[in-house]
Amino acid sequence: MHGRNEARLTLTLGHLYPDQLNLYGDRGNILTLKRRCELRGIELRVVGLGIGDALAPDEYDLLFIGGGQDKEQAPVAQDLFETKGIGLWAAIEDDMPVLAVCGGYQLLAHYYRPAEGPDMKGLGVFDAWTVHKGPRTPRCIGDVVISWHGMTVVGFENHGGRTYLGTARPLGKVLKGNGNNAEDGTEGAVYRNTYGTYLHGSLLPKNPHFADHLIGLALQRKYGLRRLTSLSMPPGEIMNGSTPAQPVSVEDPTTLLRPLDDRLEWQAHAAILERLGLYEEAVAALRHAEAA
Amino acid sequence: MQQHRPSSVISQGPNQGESRGSRWLRPKKGRPEVKPGSVTGAARAGQRSRRRRLSLRAALAVISGRAAGAFSRRLRLGGGTSIVGLVAQRLYPDIISHLAAQLEHGSVLVTGTNGKTTTSGFLAAILRDAGLRVWRNREGANLLRGVAGALVVRALPNGNLRRAGQAISVFEIDEAVMPQAIRLLEPRAVVFVNLFRDQLDRYGEVESVAARWRQMVKELPETTALVLNADDPTTASLGEQARGPVLYFGLEDLTLDLSGQDGQGTPGTHQVVDSRSCVRCGSDYHYSARFYSHMGHYQCPHCGLERPSPVVRALHVRQDTFDRLRVTVETPTQLGEIVIPLPGLYNVYNALAAITAAQALGISWEPIVSGIEQFKPAFGRGERVQVAGRTLRLLLAKNPTGLNEVLRTLFSEGTPRHVLFVLNDHIADGRDVSWIWDVDFERAKGLTASLTVAGSRAFDLALRLKYAGFAPEEMTLIPSTPLRALEELTGSQPPGRKGKGRGRGRRQLPERQAAAMMTSSAATPSAEEQTTSLREMAVSFPGYGLAAALEQAIEQTPAGETLFIVPTYTGLLEIHRELERRGLTPHYWEGRD
Repeated sequence: MHGRNEARLTLTLGHLYPDQLNLYGDRGNILTLKRRCELRGIELRVVGLGIGDALAPDEYDLLFIGGGQDKEQAPVAQDLFETKGIGLWAAIEDDMPVLAVCGGYQLLAHYYRPAEGPDMKGLGVFDAWTVHKGPRTPRCIGDVVISWHGMTVVGFENHGGRTYLGTARPLGKVLKGNGNNAEDGTEGAVYRNTYGTYLHGSLLPKNPHFADHLIGLALQRKYGLRRLTSLSMPPGEIMNGSTPAQPVSVEDPTTLLRPLDDRLEWQAHAAILERLGLYEEAVAALRHAEAA
Repeated sequence: MQQHRPSSVISQGPNQGESRGSRWLRPKKGRPEVKPGSVTGAARAGQRSRRRRLSLRAALAVISGRAAGAFSRRLRLGGGTSIVGLVAQRLYPDIISHLAAQLEHGSVLVTGTNGKTTTSGFLAAILRDAGLRVWRNREGANLLRGVAGALVVRALPNGNLRRAGQAISVFEIDEAVMPQAIRLLEPRAVVFVNLFRDQLDRYGEVESVAARWRQMVKELPETTALVLNADDPTTASLGEQARGPVLYFGLEDLTLDLSGQDGQGTPGTHQVVDSRSCVRCGSDYHYSARFYSHMGHYQCPHCGLERPSPVVRALHVRQDTFDRLRVTVETPTQLGEIVIPLPGLYNVYNALAAITAAQALGISWEPIVSGIEQFKPAFGRGERVQVAGRTLRLLLAKNPTGLNEVLRTLFSEGTPRHVLFVLNDHIADGRDVSWIWDVDFERAKGLTASLTVAGSRAFDLALRLKYAGFAPEEMTLIPSTPLRALEELTGSQPPGRKGKGRGRGRRQLPERQAAAMMTSSAATPSAEEQTTSLREMAVSFPGYGLAAALEQAIEQTPAGETLFIVPTYTGLLEIHRELERRGLTPHYWEGRD
């Protein structure tokens, strides 16, 4: 199928703390990235980075950090700070796409302040901080929808801590659910190509556009736009023989990727929207699948 | 109504000795109606009147609770045992301890994430065979009101239990309400089957449940025996806190070690490990054998904490048929073979837990063997129902480890199976379904003879299966409600509404053209489209709701074959309701014991 691709595209995903931070079906995110790459003839290697493993930024093209139990989170926070901190900072400043979910998101902000006990220090990638206000404050639990670049992203949130943004840009605006703190309508945080979010469920399976966004960013960063469009991915391959719906843009590297049959993904996405009463958005999501 | 059992010893089989069961009976100490001791006459009179007040109050609670239950059943609001307990507790908060104190042989509590119902079922069967009258709470009614309900329905209108002699209660208790249950019931034994990740939105993380358990065990009286799973590190560690006797059970058959056959090293399989680090020092355990999830023979390389040596041991497990497991069990006094009439390694643990609890109560070997071997599976735990020449097997699976073990049981022999998955996300299921991504559905790939996916999260599960390698046309997706936006877009109508929109613009859009709109490639229509394909599925689903799903799944199962139904908790309730509607299973509130 992809015989015309002379050089096989390869990406390496660093999965941080797969044994400690694996609480909320994070595996779904990895499976999604892997499958969506493979269907396009891109090889995605997944490398687990546990406690004590150094992070050499030039070995990876994508990074993922999930969420975990509190008990597991403390040693992780220490390792993140002491062992992986410099490498992770270098990767992030060099525009490597990073996805951090739930606990991982909290670890990339300044600190996590538990209801009792000392603060857990974060990496400070996002100018944001998290406070747990004690057992009286209800956890943020439930389906959540945010708007992201004019589209919806759906997921499930379950967090006790409230995250407040300083100068960090939010990932999106909350349409339904709680988001960062159930107060200001923001959800997640973005710094360069690093995305922090509370959305799991898993996040990527039902949000193929977001998954492709990450893959596109990684490809663009590794191979460069020009090389991708001219050399590695002939236009026929990229666009599947049809006229491009929209021109390839530098802003949205997703347009580099060959569309996949994502009807089930978008139906699952739309089903969540409909349950939450976002009917128009559900129609828009299904139309998006159709346009692809 | 019900035939009275001879109140002392029952003898049914030829080899059931006369003294069986009654020998060990240890009437409960220190539980007369009034606390003994030297009390003055005035105090005694005061106590008498207080006692009268309390039993009046208990009587009122019993009457009101049972009336509420009767109304609830009449109005078809539900099984009615929880409402009984709820009302009775509201009128008399101490109704549980008031009634439980009258049980001649006290109570046993069973808790844990998976296997509570089956374990307490095994134990109840053993105790019954030992000649006791066993009272249980209804499956699923495992909060305090369920316990209260179970006692109240067996109480007389005067607030006393009827036939409390020879009676023992076996209650399965939700892990979250264990502390209160222990306080109210003062159990003779507490069985902890295991601890897995389950319903994070409701219980919190595994570690926080474990912390509550540790606290609770510290407060147990010295007279309460603890029955613990040696192979589950978190559960086993509770033994360190105990003041009373501790009895461990565990698996010793090393041929079951996963790392030998299809464990972590082999790609494609995935184990969910919910407890990996040492409860004492936090280092990761080292396993010399792992049976599933975090169950196995473990040791902490740092502080040396290791699996305690069990007193009840399964030396050898052999599978005769799908649901006949031949297990060699060793106890301090016996070595024998027991046939467990249920599938899956998890049921070996459940049986061991029940055997160990029976040991803790001093039960002899014969009722242990007969209780387990003649066990009838409980509601949804391997239960068998005949429908139109097909056999339905209901296998509840409500968390990642539970579902992984059900899948392993179903697919490890490589036999193709007909399967209906039901994934719901109601409160009782846990609203967060992301755990399905931790389940090893990959092992079912290529082994489903037919596959139907239903429930309020059917789309999520279908997507999970797609990423496990199932082609969408391999599965029949039946969501619980129509996806209106999709109908809008394709102009299709859900079944039963066809025709209403005829003549309108969007109705005229031919289905095939609508289908093409939904495909990403402009593939030309082919004969393949005649079959149930994704294209058709995208336009309209074969139906909506669980009744339709059950119908479809049965239809896809040829007569004479078995359809395995794997639902989450409320999915199981819905399936049962649907089977009841068809007159296929007894109403679950009708007497069972």
